[in-house]
Amino acid sequence: MADPVEVLPLLVVAVLLMTASGQQVEQMEVVFDGDREVASVSDALVVGGGTVTVPADESVSGTVYVVGGDFRVAGEVDGDVTQLAGNVSVGDGGAISGELRTIAGDAAVADGATVGARSTVEFVQRERSTAEAVGFLALQALVLALAGGALARRRPALLENVADSVVHHSVVSGVVGAFTGATALALFVFMAFTLILIPVSFFGLAVGLFTLAYAYVVYGYLVGRALPIDRPDLASAVGSAVVVVAADLLGRVPLVGTAVQGLLVVTGLGAVLVTYYGFREFEPALADLEE
Amino acid sequence: MALFAFLRRREWPTVLGYALFVTLLAAGYYYNVTFVQLGLLDLGTRLVGMSEAQVSAWMAALALLTLAVAVLTGMTMDRRGWSKNLLVKFRLLFGVVALQFLLTLVAPAVRTVPAFGAWILLGSVALGVGIPVTFGMTIDFVAVADRGYVAAAITALAYFAANVYPLEWRVEAFSAVMVAAMLPGLVALGVVASGRVGPANRLVARLADQHERRAFGVGRFCRPARVPTRSFAFWGPVVLMFGVFFVDSLGFLRIVETPTFVQSAWQSPDFGDHLFLGAVHVLGALVGGVLYTNFDRNWLFLWVFGLFSLTHLFYTTDVRMAAWLPGLARGASSPLNSAVYAVAVSFYTTLNFALWPDLSTPETVGTHTAIGVGLAGWLATFLSTAVALYFETAEVTLLSHLNVVNALALALFTALVASLYLRRLLAAARSGGGGR
Repeated sequence: MADPVEVLPLLVVAVLLMTASGQQVEQMEVVFDGDREVASVSDALVVGGGTVTVPADESVSGTVYVVGGDFRVAGEVDGDVTQLAGNVSVGDGGAISGELRTIAGDAAVADGATVGARSTVEFVQRERSTAEAVGFLALQALVLALAGGALARRRPALLENVADSVVHHSVVSGVVGAFTGATALALFVFMAFTLILIPVSFFGLAVGLFTLAYAYVVYGYLVGRALPIDRPDLASAVGSAVVVVAADLLGRVPLVGTAVQGLLVVTGLGAVLVTYYGFREFEPALADLEE
Repeated sequence: MALFAFLRRREWPTVLGYALFVTLLAAGYYYNVTFVQLGLLDLGTRLVGMSEAQVSAWMAALALLTLAVAVLTGMTMDRRGWSKNLLVKFRLLFGVVALQFLLTLVAPAVRTVPAFGAWILLGSVALGVGIPVTFGMTIDFVAVADRGYVAAAITALAYFAANVYPLEWRVEAFSAVMVAAMLPGLVALGVVASGRVGPANRLVARLADQHERRAFGVGRFCRPARVPTRSFAFWGPVVLMFGVFFVDSLGFLRIVETPTFVQSAWQSPDFGDHLFLGAVHVLGALVGGVLYTNFDRNWLFLWVFGLFSLTHLFYTTDVRMAAWLPGLARGASSPLNSAVYAVAVSFYTTLNFALWPDLSTPETVGTHTAIGVGLAGWLATFLSTAVALYFETAEVTLLSHLNVVNALALALFTALVASLYLRRLLAAARSGGGGR
């Protein structure tokens, strides 16, 4: 049986491809398990699991998406076949009149088979070169340094309020950051599966990234205060650049480094949130109740 | 935390009071979530032979009776000054625990409907008296500044034990464990309540006046102005908490009847699942404790409704996916569902433990905690049980049922956001903002 965790994202991609090519999603037929022979396809067929066969004496019209399982062509498919995962095999005498596009998975086409066109999308996963990695890091450092410097010059109170929460209210900042971060991430990822809310999901993730960048700038401001630089804006800019590089180095240390990085990130996120992006100073509700 | 200051000053009776309170409340809540909520269902259906609907109706009666007894007891405590008398509260608690001990001991022997009814009646009395007495002890034991953390500790302990201790959902198993656990507690309470044992007497005497200290007696939300019983400041949280309990019970009643959901969570044969849920409950409680201490109560309610909305969004997505794509549906539901549910439950339970004493003074703690816990907790449970029974009779599908719960949570969430905004808008308008 198909594994939902693997198949669902590919199914979403298949639906998006269908929508992009003007096909009706409501017309699609999805197969997840068992052995099946198909004699006709209404508009689109999605193979998510099991084994689907076009028998030798049959010709089916429509588009086929393979996101899991096996798709075997012994007869004829009058249309395109897109393979996102799983196995596709076109036997001797089998035919695909359109294009067989292989994005991922194994495709086997026998010598005696006919395929209108065939393309393979290559995803080459390669390590960034040192120069690229350093360049990307330098770009991040530059952008955040500029943001940090500009904020420290024009609206230092924004940074001061968030920094105060990081330093003096680290527990509540950390809890709010971890709690809100985890629930918001789950919510936005879930929204993406509804298809309709994909734009909201992207917007939410963009806000999350912006908040994270803001937190880095605040850490930069804190580091800048400790640097022997008189100009606060320059100190904040240098501090932001130092933080970006330090966070990158920290992330390379297994376990402890990653844990410390995670802790700093959630505390920063929480501090940004509880101070309304620095527009208000955070005051604990029970601040004046100690005996 | 104020507790650290007590430790530094070596105020050992106060520190001991914290430990005693956490133990009492955690044990009481564990008894409630396991024996009363799950054991009675098994007792009624398997041993007495009633249908689930009949047992649910009896449990609704238990909830209603408990509410009545709790409010009556709370009001009596305040009127007679018992709320401010720790020894009296200990004596009442001893009576409650003694009655619960006997009821727990005889529960597996109950075989007839009248015996079951009598059990329910006596159980209601014990629970009803126990609510204002135990919650009322907060003013004697826990400093206002620490109530969120203490509530978190109680919630974490009770739910961790309830999830991790591998109890069968059978009344015999519950009874055996509870009787063994209650016996030493009963003896200890007897010693304290007797007033005849020197060290115990001295401890009670030291703790008895703590509610007069600035840090203890008057709740957080009663400062600077006290919250009268007939005020929106009191009934607003009652209504909101009622909504929380109603949403929780209505959803949970259906979820526990759905094998796909419970077998991958609360009834999973895999110990790892139980440990995971226990740990998530602890995490949820700690988060609740920290947030309770640092934010206004309206934000906490907002978070609770938001969490329940998210929980039921997850559950309904699971059910929809199974309906639309049956090939994708497997035997078990996602562990994320029960994890988010556990966080939501721990979060609001923490809020519930701390909220009512914080809306009270030593003069009103009996009535306020009784109304708060009784009305918001028990009456909501009674009504949601009735609604769930109606849904069952009307053959409402699982998806429709959970959709209703989700819609309720979302509606309450939106209403709270709107009311918070409206309040600020009115305040701004009253202050004359916007004029030239």
